Amino acid sequence: MNERKYEKPLPEVTPLTKPFWDSTKRHELVVQRCKSCGRYIWYPKAWCPFCGSRELEWAKVSGLGTVYAATTTRIVAGNSPAWGEELPYTIAIVDMDEGFRMYGRVVDVKPEEVEVGMRVEIYFEDATEEIAIPIFRPLEKKK
Amino acid sequence: MGGDIAIVGIGETPYSRARVKKGEIVMSAEEYTAWAASLALEDSGLTKGDMDGQGLAVVGSEWPHSEIWSAEIVQNLGFKPKLLLRGDFGGTNAVELIVQAAAALKAGMVDYVLFAGGDSPMLPPGENPNRTWRYELDYMRPFGLMGFISLAALMMQRHMYLYGTKQEHFGKIAVTQREHARLNPNAYVKTPMTMEDYLNSRILSDPLRMFDSTLFVNGGLAFILTKKELADKHAKNPIYILGYGLVHNYAEGDPALPDITTTGVKVAARDSLEMACISREKLDFLQLYDDFTGAVLMQIEDIGFCNKGEGGKFVEQTDISYRGTLPVNTGGGLISNGQPGMAAGFVQVVEAVKQLRGEAMNRQVNGARIGLVSGLGALAYGSNFANAGALILGVEP
Repeated sequence: MNERKYEKPLPEVTPLTKPFWDSTKRHELVVQRCKSCGRYIWYPKAWCPFCGSRELEWAKVSGLGTVYAATTTRIVAGNSPAWGEELPYTIAIVDMDEGFRMYGRVVDVKPEEVEVGMRVEIYFEDATEEIAIPIFRPLEKKK
Repeated sequence: MGGDIAIVGIGETPYSRARVKKGEIVMSAEEYTAWAASLALEDSGLTKGDMDGQGLAVVGSEWPHSEIWSAEIVQNLGFKPKLLLRGDFGGTNAVELIVQAAAALKAGMVDYVLFAGGDSPMLPPGENPNRTWRYELDYMRPFGLMGFISLAALMMQRHMYLYGTKQEHFGKIAVTQREHARLNPNAYVKTPMTMEDYLNSRILSDPLRMFDSTLFVNGGLAFILTKKELADKHAKNPIYILGYGLVHNYAEGDPALPDITTTGVKVAARDSLEMACISREKLDFLQLYDDFTGAVLMQIEDIGFCNKGEGGKFVEQTDISYRGTLPVNTGGGLISNGQPGMAAGFVQVVEAVKQLRGEAMNRQVNGARIGLVSGLGALAYGSNFANAGALILGVEP
């Protein structure tokens, strides 16, 4: 574990969201799937927003996706000043292979090299002993 | 709906960013709400007492953010409404509350509804109340997103990627609205801005620049709705509500993977024009919700003035100033007039009424008789806006 105190914002873990955060702690991506219509659901919901079924299960997913849109973040606003040390960095909308959409940082690549259509994979940063935050990196490293 | 409801009074306070050292005033949301309400009452020839037993619509204040704010306002300001409405719709607060109030007026529940919108997002200076969505706290801030700035930038980036939209296209909107603000005595921002100034302004998150973005101010706006039968009993000419449209959780395409360059205004504007029985070519101006320039460009496409993706070229080739063929955001919009927090959507309504009354002075749209007001609210996870609405206002019922 990092010796430095983690100063960036952390999520609140609730009974509804605990299976997700338990999975990221194991460095796995697990999201809800509707037993009725089969759709994958992100972020955690109280019922299936597509069909209204309350029969949801947690399903491990590939962690693979494609960049839908990307922006280089250049200032801190409406978030913790602790992000300042990371600037500039890329925020992307990633369309996951299972048909759901996530926001996240894309790292291990220069911001100007992140393009729409780029294939990315998820990995996890251990923020604290309890919380690991999903991050994206290019699936195939160049060179 | 066809003109059954009219706006018979408006009020707008000066704006402030509570910079005490620059001599700016510091007031609470409640003080601005009272100030704006008194201006609207005076404008209509009504008194506070006339509102007893009528309707009152307030907006969810950003500060102070109490659990039951509407009852606090009623108590503190001594209102005695029969019907009490509170908006928690963000940028669609004005449109949504007008639709709710119109239903109550048409049902005969009340004869008047006073809309009192005040907010002080810049107060107290330096403090940043934790006012946002659960999904932002859990799945955006810990993931590194900068709220509005990230989401606005992503919408603009996607539009540029798909359609070749240029930063100068967004710039033309910013520059035109600044020109309007400079002609609007009440607008907050008065500094001249050229395209060069725009292109040299700070990038917050590519491609979103400082001059693309809304500017928070403290302030208040108010207006009064009544039935057609009472509309002519007031000091100023009534402005009629001819149509409206609302949509929530709109998604273009797959609801899990929507096209973020198309807003719900596509549906809301279509419905409002249908209700008013007019075509978009009849509109003399547009007051479009503009928390950033990209939202204006997307809405021009969504209303149908050009095809999706052609907004950049359309804006480039069209005079969108108050003297042009399609005047847009004639008072400066949120970007240059300033955004009084959750009273944001009131700015577009009050400017539309001024234009239709012929009270817009140096920025008056010549012969304005009918116009469209839009609202966009609640930045959605993985999409654009969860709330969208549109109104058609006109000088005749």
